[in-house]
Amino acid sequence: MAKEFRIKVENVSKKFKIGYKKRQGALQRVLSFFSGKDSKKEILVLDGVSFEIFPKEIIGIIGNNGSGKSTLLRTLAGIYSVDSGSISVNGKVVSLINLNVGLKERLTMVENIFLCCSLFGLPKSEIKKKFKSIVEFSELKDFVNTKVYQFSEGMKQRLVFSIGIHCNPDIFLLDEVLEVGDRAFKEKCSVAINKIVSSGTSVILVSHNLSLIKKHCKRVLWLEKGKIRMFEDAESVLKKYTNSE
Amino acid sequence: MGFWNAVNLSFTLAKADFKLKNEGSYLGILWYLVNPILTFVLLSLIFYDRLGNYIPHYLAYVFFGVIMFNLLQKTLLESCKVIFANPVIKSIHFSRGSLVGAIVLKNMFSHFFEVALLLVLLVVFNIPIYGLIFYVFILALFSIFLFGSALILSSTNMYLLDLENIWLFLSSLLFFATPIFYTFGGQVKLFYLNLFNPLYFFISLARDYVLYSDFSRVWILFGAIFYTLLFLLVGLLFFNKLKGKFAELI
Repeated sequence: MAKEFRIKVENVSKKFKIGYKKRQGALQRVLSFFSGKDSKKEILVLDGVSFEIFPKEIIGIIGNNGSGKSTLLRTLAGIYSVDSGSISVNGKVVSLINLNVGLKERLTMVENIFLCCSLFGLPKSEIKKKFKSIVEFSELKDFVNTKVYQFSEGMKQRLVFSIGIHCNPDIFLLDEVLEVGDRAFKEKCSVAINKIVSSGTSVILVSHNLSLIKKHCKRVLWLEKGKIRMFEDAESVLKKYTNSE
Repeated sequence: MGFWNAVNLSFTLAKADFKLKNEGSYLGILWYLVNPILTFVLLSLIFYDRLGNYIPHYLAYVFFGVIMFNLLQKTLLESCKVIFANPVIKSIHFSRGSLVGAIVLKNMFSHFFEVALLLVLLVVFNIPIYGLIFYVFILALFSIFLFGSALILSSTNMYLLDLENIWLFLSSLLFFATPIFYTFGGQVKLFYLNLFNPLYFFISLARDYVLYSDFSRVWILFGAIFYTLLFLLVGLLFFNKLKGKFAELI
């Protein structure tokens, strides 16, 4: 019997237009439509990517800048649509990409917790239940009524990670999230990640920090120019990746 | 994300935006009323002598028109930039429609202060206030219409840089084309033109039911329902067609 996957990516490709003027004035848009001067140049960011991820797995994604890591993560999260191929997802996806979870700087920590958890699809009753745990995990109990613009980057990272991990992810996507913050909190995050993984969650970790990838991931996917260069056990992928640099 | 979670998100976003807009301002709520009050005072000063004798409850008539127009103009203007100005779309997959819903809800909150002022006018001019009960239903219809229109504008703005300016220009035209401070009188062409103006149906319906307790013009009610459904349908189709590309366009 085939093992049930969390994510199944089949031959996914994604293109972006290059030099394309996203927003134009009405007149400019009409003129460029009739003159045909609109950019037709495209770049293939993901090219025939296929892989599967299973429950209780932590997968690392590595690659140079522009290799398509963040685009892949965004397509997995459903933020970007794919141009061809398919992505099947079993479970709830929670994505922490560049620590942007919609924190409103002029709102207090309490208000931001309710806001961000709502963005991740948590009903109000559940947010209330988890509120205490979110605050405790972030270790920011003394700042619950402080506006977030007064927080340091480290404090924001604590808050964001705490919100994310409490939003019941079946698939937890982390893009450059564990890079900042103090050592003790990083360790706390590692323990929390291992805990949710043991209960069935799959984690995808995008990072340039190879020791972090080595520490957490059993399998690593190496992306190069939008294609999978390697997807094997962490040790062999990291070894080849390091040699290629 | 389910429907109720999306509604819950809209409420949370609207509450946060409302709070942020009034942050540190004791006069915050008063600012919502300055624009409609000034417009109302100006129009009343200019036109009361000429139109006041022909239009019953002229002052309440003008104020009602002004606040409904104000709600439409503000909601749709804010909806133009709601998607574009939200970089969180690039990081989290959530119901994009909730952002648009939040704009409608936030402006509804502000509109309640205008309605409170309308209530004062009704009492001062001895107009029965029970008609306001019907306004709850009309407002519900109007908010769905606004939601549909806001869906169209918010997604179009992702492609058109000057949509806000276009909307400001169009809404100025709409202000004068809609009988906000006048009636059609014998102007048949203007009447026929207004059959294509959804705002005319909502304002007329509100005035008929609330100010005049006149329920005889059923076609006005059907017109309002027709435009509500039309804009909601077109808005949903339009938005759902384009929303997949929003994150790429930011």
